[in-house]
Amino acid sequence: MQIRATKEIYQQLKEARIKILIPLILLTITSYFSFIWVIAFKPIFFGILIFDTNVSIGIFLGFLLILLIFLVTLTYVYLANKILEPLIKKIQNNA
Amino acid sequence: MHKLILLLGLFFSNLLFANTADGEPNYTAIIMFVLFVGVTLFITYWASKKTHTAKSFYTAGGNITGLQNGLAISGDFMSAASFLGISGLVYLSGFDGLIYSIGFLIGWPIILLLIAEPLRNLGKYSFSDVVSFRLKQKPIRILAACGSLSTVILYLIAQMVGAGKLIEILFGLPYYSAVMIVGGLMISYVTFGGMLATTWVQIIKAVLLLSGATLMAFLVLYQFEFDFNQFFSKAVNIHSKGENIMAPGGLISDPVSAISLGLALMFGTAGLPHILMRFFTVPDAVEARKSVVYATGFIGYFYILTFIIGFGAIVLVSNNPEYLNDSGALIGNNNMAAIHLSHAVGGDILLGFISAVAFATILAVVSGLTLAGASAISHDLYANVFLTGKNNEKMEIKVSKFATIFLGVLAVFLGILFEEQNVAFMVGLAFAIAATTNFPILILSIYWKNLTTRGAVIGGSAGLFIAILLVILGPVVWVDIFGNNEAIFPYKYPALFSMVVTFVGIWFFSKTDKSKNSTAEKELFESQYFRSQTGVGIDKPNAH
Repeated sequence: MQIRATKEIYQQLKEARIKILIPLILLTITSYFSFIWVIAFKPIFFGILIFDTNVSIGIFLGFLLILLIFLVTLTYVYLANKILEPLIKKIQNNA
Repeated sequence: MHKLILLLGLFFSNLLFANTADGEPNYTAIIMFVLFVGVTLFITYWASKKTHTAKSFYTAGGNITGLQNGLAISGDFMSAASFLGISGLVYLSGFDGLIYSIGFLIGWPIILLLIAEPLRNLGKYSFSDVVSFRLKQKPIRILAACGSLSTVILYLIAQMVGAGKLIEILFGLPYYSAVMIVGGLMISYVTFGGMLATTWVQIIKAVLLLSGATLMAFLVLYQFEFDFNQFFSKAVNIHSKGENIMAPGGLISDPVSAISLGLALMFGTAGLPHILMRFFTVPDAVEARKSVVYATGFIGYFYILTFIIGFGAIVLVSNNPEYLNDSGALIGNNNMAAIHLSHAVGGDILLGFISAVAFATILAVVSGLTLAGASAISHDLYANVFLTGKNNEKMEIKVSKFATIFLGVLAVFLGILFEEQNVAFMVGLAFAIAATTNFPILILSIYWKNLTTRGAVIGGSAGLFIAILLVILGPVVWVDIFGNNEAIFPYKYPALFSMVVTFVGIWFFSKTDKSKNSTAEKELFESQYFRSQTGVGIDKPNAH
């Protein structure tokens, strides 16, 4: 009985984890490599100043990317603690 | 211990000659140094009383909290090279500094999402524990130890040479004694205090560095009433490259280099042994997760500060003759931008404080590296390869202490040997090797069922070999160091090519592996994956 319950919860855990991981990984990798892509192929674009200011698009997006990286880690930990952790605890208690 | 005291005596008598620009000793720097060294040696003494078992030596007993570990990880990661190097790069060419900062930071979500929890759930003391969980101990441990040791030693050389130069410029100490003092202190932290002392040295240093950098950025922006518009336009007006400092410049000249550097930075971070080792100091996966969020926050914030500091140096240092030599370049070199800026915004007191922080930073980082290297020698090579896993904890601890002393002496020796060499490429090579060997075998052993010992060993060592070969044949070593006219391999960063070699090699030689062993290894995957996801079966931390 317990083994079967564990198996089901484990299955749920794996599915829930993938649902959380895939969007976050895609977001991280695409935003980073788009940034690198612009540096490689269109460096001039990053030099354009955001209108009315002396801050360039590159510097603005760079700071934004640092913020995004932090938010990705924050989001993951929030979701993991809320959704994954209860499942993990159940499995650990069954074991 | 007597030698150490003698060395310290020499150090402090030398410090008395630490001069400010006008020839007076910088008392702030001296007091800060004495305080830092005193406090850290006291911690080492306290930690040495708690460090009797292998577990406490390698993992501080597994009782470090998420916040503490987050700070310690940031301490390991925010080296003097990144504080002075990145602010120096921003000073020199503006935007390009940001490429490095973001590259160093982007590895963290990858570590958090894919590695931190399985690593904590499968490993005990080092990432090789994870890789060898279901693969054959001997060959895989030797490979992982080679990957760890080459990363650690390259990183150590770069830090040692940087440390020697920095202390030489800051305090007028001879290069040799500077390198030996760093070596002596680091050996005593690690051999006597193990991971517990090393962790607290990291935490103290991280707090000092973050507060010092915050203060500097605040003082810079204060002069511009926190108006970024005014701040950046002033920098553009002053800098010789004008508005080009707001856009990508010469750091990356072609798309292949851009992607190659991007890969090395992103996945290299996830393969640094001294960083990975930190995840074994927390009690469970929940704390491991938390520590990455703290670390990412601190490190990201720190990189924003270094950017402001670099631009601050453009505005406040580059046009002040007090900080320039006769040819108009910065006294010392571009890496001294942050140090000069501290004097420009805060006088001798802030200069003394920031110099002491830079020194503390170097000490903390080399200690962390040495501990990771020593564990590769004692835990992987000695305990699991030489003794084939027969438990002999007393000897293992002894070996790890000798390994620490050996690595410390080696670092001092190599630091002196490479004094006149350009060592900047060594950090790049360390990241390339970490991304090429350590990261692929780690990630595939956790997630790819069909990985076999044969595939991991052949693919991993082929990648390691190619990465080193391509750096030697590339522009940095072949042209700049060996003095040849043209590089055989045209790119500075090998990761794109060497990572492909590793992954294809591992895939091909695992897939074609039909041995009995490989079948058993694949069968073990399910239970390993279950443990990596749930943490069922891991050790409990030491009781307090």
